[in-house]
Amino acid sequence: MSLWLLYGLLLKATVTSFSGMGSLPQIRQDLVVTHAALSDEQLSHAVLLGRSVPGPVGVYVVSAGYLAAGWPGAVVGWVALVTPALAAIPLLALVGRWHHLPRVRSGVDAVVIAGAAMLVPAGLQLARDALLQLGAVIGR
Amino acid sequence: MERPSLSAMGWQLAKDANRTLGGGMASIELMRRSFERRGWLDEPRHALLVAVSRFTPGTNVLAYCAALGWLVHRAAGAAVAIGVASIPGAVIVTAFSAVVAQLVARPMVRAGFAAATLVAAALILSSAWALVRPHVFGSRRVWALAFAMAAAALFASGITPIRVLLLSALFGALSPPREGAS
Repeated sequence: MSLWLLYGLLLKATVTSFSGMGSLPQIRQDLVVTHAALSDEQLSHAVLLGRSVPGPVGVYVVSAGYLAAGWPGAVVGWVALVTPALAAIPLLALVGRWHHLPRVRSGVDAVVIAGAAMLVPAGLQLARDALLQLGAVIGR
Repeated sequence: MERPSLSAMGWQLAKDANRTLGGGMASIELMRRSFERRGWLDEPRHALLVAVSRFTPGTNVLAYCAALGWLVHRAAGAAVAIGVASIPGAVIVTAFSAVVAQLVARPMVRAGFAAATLVAAALILSSAWALVRPHVFGSRRVWALAFAMAAAALFASGITPIRVLLLSALFGALSPPREGAS
């Protein structure tokens, strides 16, 4: 697989997701099912590694790139990981320009509150997984 | 609000973005605490950055860093912020990919990761509270609680986060503006 194609496939996955792991189904579809550049086991390892290192969970994309194409693949994976973040800059400028309008502020407030509300189940799920994992290790 | 130097901002982001497991919201909470403590960021700007990062495709914490870096030092700030927040993790995960699987399977290593994940979970819950706190103690308490409960219910019913956020933005903009807003 060429590095350009790998970048295109990883970017397609990252740019169409809105959370670190949201890109996983698309990456599996493209790299495992369609192009057979990775096995399911390799992708599982990438995901496990992504959750095991400091920083964003989405960094598993770098591991997937490495497992698909070595060191150049890791670099391509990193570029695909950070590219969508650049969209935050025009978005910030846009929201910042209209943020003084009461209805825009109200909309932003609502987004912040909704985002916070959705963090609670994510945090609880993470705590539950960690406790189960600790229990499994201690129970051995 | 004070404006940190590019190197001070980069160093602080590097420390905060790369010492939590379990996802970006824990890192964002650390950044908020560090930046607010130093007077580099205030609560309304943090809330704006969080809102923007939630609407940006890809990894939320990198979008947060890009927007934060842009706010402080424009293009150079955004580049430094994205770099320091993503390169250490990328290097570590690549090095691990070359050797690992066996290492992560060891019980003591897994226990260490689990303990670190518990800390991350606590930080995520703390982050959620920090975001809703100004609204819960503000003049629109009922409005804020209604939105939080509606969002949680929609999310629990299987609606994707981005749709929940879009609906929230729409209904938030259509609801009566808050008191004191011009």
